[in-house]
Amino acid sequence: MQDYKDFLEEVLIDEKTLQNRIKELAEEINRDYAGKDLLLICILRGGIVFLVDLMRHITVPLQLDFMAVSSYGAGARQSGGSVRLSLDLKTDIRNKEVVLVEDIVDSGNTIAYVLEFLQTRQPSSLKVCTLLDKEERRETPVPIHYRGFSIPNKFVFGYGLDLDEHYRNLPFIAVADQKKYRTPE
Amino acid sequence: MGVKVQDYREFMDEVLVDENTIGKRVAELGAQISREYTSRELLVVCLLRGGLTFTADLTRHLTIPHTLDCMSLSSYSVGRYASSGNVRVNLDLMTNIEGLNVLLVEDIVDSGRTLAHVLQMLKTREPRSLKVCVLLDKKYRREVPVEVDYVGFDVPDKYVFGYGIDIDEHFRHLRFIASADMQKYRKTS
Repeated sequence: MQDYKDFLEEVLIDEKTLQNRIKELAEEINRDYAGKDLLLICILRGGIVFLVDLMRHITVPLQLDFMAVSSYGAGARQSGGSVRLSLDLKTDIRNKEVVLVEDIVDSGNTIAYVLEFLQTRQPSSLKVCTLLDKEERRETPVPIHYRGFSIPNKFVFGYGLDLDEHYRNLPFIAVADQKKYRTPE
Repeated sequence: MGVKVQDYREFMDEVLVDENTIGKRVAELGAQISREYTSRELLVVCLLRGGLTFTADLTRHLTIPHTLDCMSLSSYSVGRYASSGNVRVNLDLMTNIEGLNVLLVEDIVDSGRTLAHVLQMLKTREPRSLKVCVLLDKKYRREVPVEVDYVGFDVPDKYVFGYGIDIDEHFRHLRFIASADMQKYRKTS
């Protein structure tokens, strides 16, 4: 296993800045959902760390649920491909106030599909909260209601985001130098 | 719409473990696991949903290379106090664990039945090692012997909630672990 310092280009968002912003997002959500019950949906696995830190600042009555998605074969996460639900929600979201929590919105293809799919179940509202927004990469438009940070089109890792399944536990978001990064065998 | 969600202060019995104490203990466990797995690649398996908060915090204290996977299980029998049946896998691991060092992270071990089933099931996949880390151990409720390698706290036989642990899917987001007086608790419809 390569030490991340060997390929770290820069720390894009440090721990303190991340945590402050997450608190602000939660406060915004608390204001918007005052007097309502909220359901946060996390798409596994990247969104876990963000969800856990975000929810600790939520003061309105809160439920959590999880989804896991995978693609139908190679390339299906590209534009137009369908998404396979490997874990569906436990909760019926009909008439619920729902916020989908994501670590990053990139092409937007997967999340757009998930939103469309969830809408068919008629929640009373459905919003998106993403920690990171890589707008440059967008292929499918996604309405984002709560955005942590807009980031450039760089190879990022840390704070839930992996490189070949590693480095999710770093408390900051960093940029990797792709020339120096080696994929573990 | 249904009845409003009850304020937890109305049915809370006491705070069993406060935020600060949890934070310190989780850091200690992370350090201990990091020492014991030095130079061995580790797969952390989070058992959803209860184990989520604990896993997110624990892994941030790991200083060793590791990967993360999740499993979601439910019991074929009904009810929180009657988990004697077999375990149903709602979401299986993405990782093939054959030959890997696996650490299962769970919020609470109670009767031990679910955990014993999962361990048995995972062993058939021949991991190199398989250990268990639980935040809370309700030792008095044990019905099946199960080896727990890392324990955060021993807790009494009370109905607990907070720090990832729910009551009817609520209160997982609280930063501490509390016990509930279930006579005062009212379910949200």
